[in-house]
Amino acid sequence: MPSNVLIVDDSATIRQMVKRTMQIAGLDVGEVYEASNGIEALAQLNDHTVACMVVDINMPTMNGIQLLTRMKENARLRDIPIVIASTEGSRKRIAQMEDFGAFGYVRKPFQPEQLRDVLKPLLGVVDDAGSENANAELDLF
Amino acid sequence: MQDQKTPTLNSIFSEVLQNLAFMFHDEDEAEIAPGEVWLETVIRYRGPQDGTLRLRCTRDFAVLLAANLLGTDPESADSLGRAGDAVKEFMNILCGQYVTARHGVEDVFDLTIPEIEELTETPDFTPGPEEEAAGVSVQGHRVQVLYRPQA
Repeated sequence: MPSNVLIVDDSATIRQMVKRTMQIAGLDVGEVYEASNGIEALAQLNDHTVACMVVDINMPTMNGIQLLTRMKENARLRDIPIVIASTEGSRKRIAQMEDFGAFGYVRKPFQPEQLRDVLKPLLGVVDDAGSENANAELDLF
Repeated sequence: MQDQKTPTLNSIFSEVLQNLAFMFHDEDEAEIAPGEVWLETVIRYRGPQDGTLRLRCTRDFAVLLAANLLGTDPESADSLGRAGDAVKEFMNILCGQYVTARHGVEDVFDLTIPEIEELTETPDFTPGPEEEAAGVSVQGHRVQVLYRPQA
């Protein structure tokens, strides 16, 4: 059964790119919900059930770190797998994301294969062709 | 002073442009057409060192960038409507990559949310005394990125 995904990024362009990448990559995705910051993401999580989330760090109003902190405090939300998609390069901050329970990390700009490979264990694929790991800047925690 | 192995603003600008949008820059100056609308997008980072990156480009370039990111026609409503957002995200990614290349991965830096404004006239492309400049032409459009360290 297809799984729902929540994309949290202040850039509508990136949200559309992630959505398109998931479709092209053949990931078994159901509904794709969108939020442009942490507050909107929490509102979406209040209304919908999702299998995983793709979350940016640098966002206005409530950033990705604050969102993960809030989710960790909530028993209903703390186990939702989160993939960080960010331009962040600091080892400390990536380790901090890992401590907060992030499932994986892709650094922007990412290739479609990188996003596919990090999301595949969470969503499964409809079409498994072309699943070569693009390796660079991809990390499963 | 940067050593020769440190990636330059120019090389990072070029790399991000290629990897993100499949666009290529060259060193030949693109002509500036009269009446073009110019945009300036600014992002700052703060940490053990602070700095500012500025991008000057035309609105036509911003639309082309959006089209390449979205895989849409440059004439489409999506490309036209997302031009500003595309440039801001480009600067967010460029800044993240540049900070890592310049300052390494050990320290934590906070990036501001990029701000974009429409300029009232064609900008002066001469870099200031403390500024490093990159870019000249991207697929026929004049584009410039400026980096200024802050004390």
